[in-house]
Amino acid sequence: MRRSAASLVCLVSFISAAALFAPHVAFGQDLQIPFTKTTLSNGLVVILSADHAVPQVAVNVSYDVGSRMERVGRTGFAHLFEHLMFMGTRLAPTGAYDAWMEAAGGRNNAWTAEDRTDYFDIAPSTALPLLLWLEADRMRNLGPLVDQEKLNLQRDVVRNERRQSIENRPYGVEELELPRLVWPEGHPYHHPVIGSHEDLEAASVGDVKDFFATWYDPANASLVVAGDFDPDTTRAALDRWFGSIPSRGKPADPGAPGFSDETTTLRGVVRATVQDSVELAKLTLAWQSPRHFAPCDAELDLISSVLAHGKESRLYKALVYDQKIAQDVFAEQESHVLGSNFVAGALVRPGIDLARVEKALFDELAKLRDQAASSEELDRARNGYETEFVDRLQVVAERASLLNMYEAERGDPGYAAHDLDRYRHATAAQVLACAKKVLLPDAVVVLTTMPKKKGGSGK
Amino acid sequence: MRPAALPWLVVVAAGCAAQPPPMPAPVAPAPSPSVPAAVSSAPDPLGPRPEPPAPAPFIPPSPSVSTAANGISVWLLERHEVPIVSCDITVPVGASSDPKGKAGLAHATARMLEEGAGKRGAIDLAKAIDDLGAHLTTDANADASFVSVTVLKRNLGPAFALLADVVARPRFEAAEYKRLTDIWHNELLERQKDPDATARVVYRVALFGTDHPYGHPWDGTLQSAKAITLEDVRRFYAAAWRPDRAILVCAGDVTAVELAPIVGSAFASWKAPATPAPPPVDPPAPKGPWPKLVLVDRPDAPQAVIAVLRPGVSASDLREPALSRVNGAIGGSFTSRLNQDLREQHGYTYGARSRFSVSRGPGQVVSWANVVTDKTGDALDAMLGDLRKFADGGMTDVEVDRTRSQARAELVSVYESVEGIAGHLAADASLGLPPDWEARAGARRDAAPKTELDALAKEFYSPDGAIVVVVGPRPVVQPMLDRLKMPPPEIRDPEGNVVK
Repeated sequence: MRRSAASLVCLVSFISAAALFAPHVAFGQDLQIPFTKTTLSNGLVVILSADHAVPQVAVNVSYDVGSRMERVGRTGFAHLFEHLMFMGTRLAPTGAYDAWMEAAGGRNNAWTAEDRTDYFDIAPSTALPLLLWLEADRMRNLGPLVDQEKLNLQRDVVRNERRQSIENRPYGVEELELPRLVWPEGHPYHHPVIGSHEDLEAASVGDVKDFFATWYDPANASLVVAGDFDPDTTRAALDRWFGSIPSRGKPADPGAPGFSDETTTLRGVVRATVQDSVELAKLTLAWQSPRHFAPCDAELDLISSVLAHGKESRLYKALVYDQKIAQDVFAEQESHVLGSNFVAGALVRPGIDLARVEKALFDELAKLRDQAASSEELDRARNGYETEFVDRLQVVAERASLLNMYEAERGDPGYAAHDLDRYRHATAAQVLACAKKVLLPDAVVVLTTMPKKKGGSGK
Repeated sequence: MRPAALPWLVVVAAGCAAQPPPMPAPVAPAPSPSVPAAVSSAPDPLGPRPEPPAPAPFIPPSPSVSTAANGISVWLLERHEVPIVSCDITVPVGASSDPKGKAGLAHATARMLEEGAGKRGAIDLAKAIDDLGAHLTTDANADASFVSVTVLKRNLGPAFALLADVVARPRFEAAEYKRLTDIWHNELLERQKDPDATARVVYRVALFGTDHPYGHPWDGTLQSAKAITLEDVRRFYAAAWRPDRAILVCAGDVTAVELAPIVGSAFASWKAPATPAPPPVDPPAPKGPWPKLVLVDRPDAPQAVIAVLRPGVSASDLREPALSRVNGAIGGSFTSRLNQDLREQHGYTYGARSRFSVSRGPGQVVSWANVVTDKTGDALDAMLGDLRKFADGGMTDVEVDRTRSQARAELVSVYESVEGIAGHLAADASLGLPPDWEARAGARRDAAPKTELDALAKEFYSPDGAIVVVVGPRPVVQPMLDRLKMPPPEIRDPEGNVVK
């Protein structure tokens, strides 16, 4: 149980708080994060969202490139490249990007996923011109200046990130295995975002330059400024600094030719086992599921809450509370642009037969396919999403991130209200139909993590 | 969905690792290697780099303070931008009050609070909270216990009533305790497999020793957890959770006029015992002996945790606010010296950091990194060298200015969300700090001169006499530690016990 901190999916409003007060309405209507959107002549999308609650501003730059654009033999490259975006230009030499930003009281970070790479800066309002100048400089200049030394250093850092976040972390190993089990060979989601050590080693300076030239084009990006700033002067600065960055045009999205998120490619029950340095065995069931924003995507979010959010959720109540065969349970719709995966599973208590836990999981999923969830369960799930969403709206960097997500995935930063409607209008009958369609008992991955045999710990 | 897949963060710097709430308050800092001047060649359409002024000082608003009918102190900070409210209630009794041999009692008590309360059993209580879309947590740290709820304004009344049930009317049923202890036992087994959690267990025993109130993990050990009974929990609860020891902190979209009747009716029947409450435990400074080298074997691990550990300050120490700037310079943000050296110069790690605990008695100061195993010795050399240079040479002018700007910006961020505000203020309240502490601490932090910062760097970050902790594969890393010229390593297991 325990939903992970925030669900990226549900997003929405800020302005019309009144709607949120309506009692017993799961999601308020007409909720919007206020914004303006323009497209510069080079194709860069610019979204501005001003409010002055705190003297702080956030910049979010999203590039439409992720691990699914990587070529064979270069897994992990999109993320490695993300690291190189901090390694400097002529105007801002290595180290200067962070040093100048932090000197002004700012901070930054970035993330890479299957579909997108996202960079964000948060700083006192007075530092906005510096943030924009630095972002424009690297968008314009960075690629050709990457050399072997910069590449070698960040490759070492990324390989240590892989060790720290996955290899030396309990249950990390399964994250490396799931993508290739759920997605068929040739599908762009077949490999993990972090990539393999071997492929990271193989990356060359030439790869870096090509990748920058292809994907880090202004026409392949959108930029949000949110928080405490003046839109007029900011628009002028954006025109001046970003408007003249040359573009080769937006690169074609390679998509997933030959695959559809409507029809699973899984055949039967696909079983695999990994060994990890853990104490308890873990069972993970995984399905292919509809892409983000497609029919059933929101319904599967609701299903994940019904299954595993709270002690009263179905899996927790049955496996942890009543039967006492699981230590904990989880369920999640992991939404992506080309198709999603739905996962559910359990940590198995010591001495309990794995087959028994697997059967209990499948029994609960069968109930979801046989009978509609109750309105209490669905309202509870909706209310949880609503609070999470409103919670995120307080934070300027979160608002910036949401606007860019909607722009990247829907071409409309104002999509929030439509998004929430999906949850508000989902009926028990639709939820049932989605469970029947997606959570198939005979097109599913069953991945088991087994504890490694005891080593000489402490001896 | 949730943040689809794994956002692979570039940076680890500041405050990533999961920590008990009111521990670290690292601020940001700056690098030592001075940034090379930009080479000016061909004119660039970007023009000259904008040079922002230092951010303006930020003086956080202080909460209003009142006393509810049954004696609970109430701190309220109104924020009406978003229709959400966060309330934390705290008592100044935490893991430092765990009896000898019963490490984890405060932790177990906090967890049992939400296993059924008032007229609801564990499942019905969870259901009632989730029906409201509320988020309720219970927790205990070194010095205090907490119950917190965050909820949309429209559901504040019923959510607060549930919080009050949890605080004032927990059921403590035997069947639930049995269930909880089974789960807890397995969590402690799992903790041994997590290198960072293992390191945190070992820091405690290595620095304070098991006889000290801070010398054990808050969530106990396999041995101590077994010794704790439901009767222990009941007794601990009765001593800790009384209205005359409690402070309620609320932040968000609620006024004092709206809040008073909600608090009054929810806590109407919660009365303090006639006997006066004892003062909170006030742990002494740890005594050593140091230096010390502690090694925990983690067979076949691809990385080792390396850490340098020293005693820190009390939260009420007037030097504490400025210490966050010093910490910022050495290990509190991406451009801090440790991260720049171990990550950006050498690639030994994904991130190197430092932090200090904020606690009633003197806490700890720790610098650490997860480094690739075959560079464990080199990385420790680098870390110790960085600390020595920092302690001896003090902060650069660039660091003095940068950490001031970062401290101002960081304080602004705390006040962005109602959870941030309520959590921060409740931590202050639990440590006996006054309601306007954040404003006062902010002013001290802002004004600290270089001489004060340099003195703090010397006192709290020198590697002389420090404890070095390594969690990694012993056969590989132990030979690399010889060059440190430290005493022979003390070998401990993941529970913190000395291995003979």
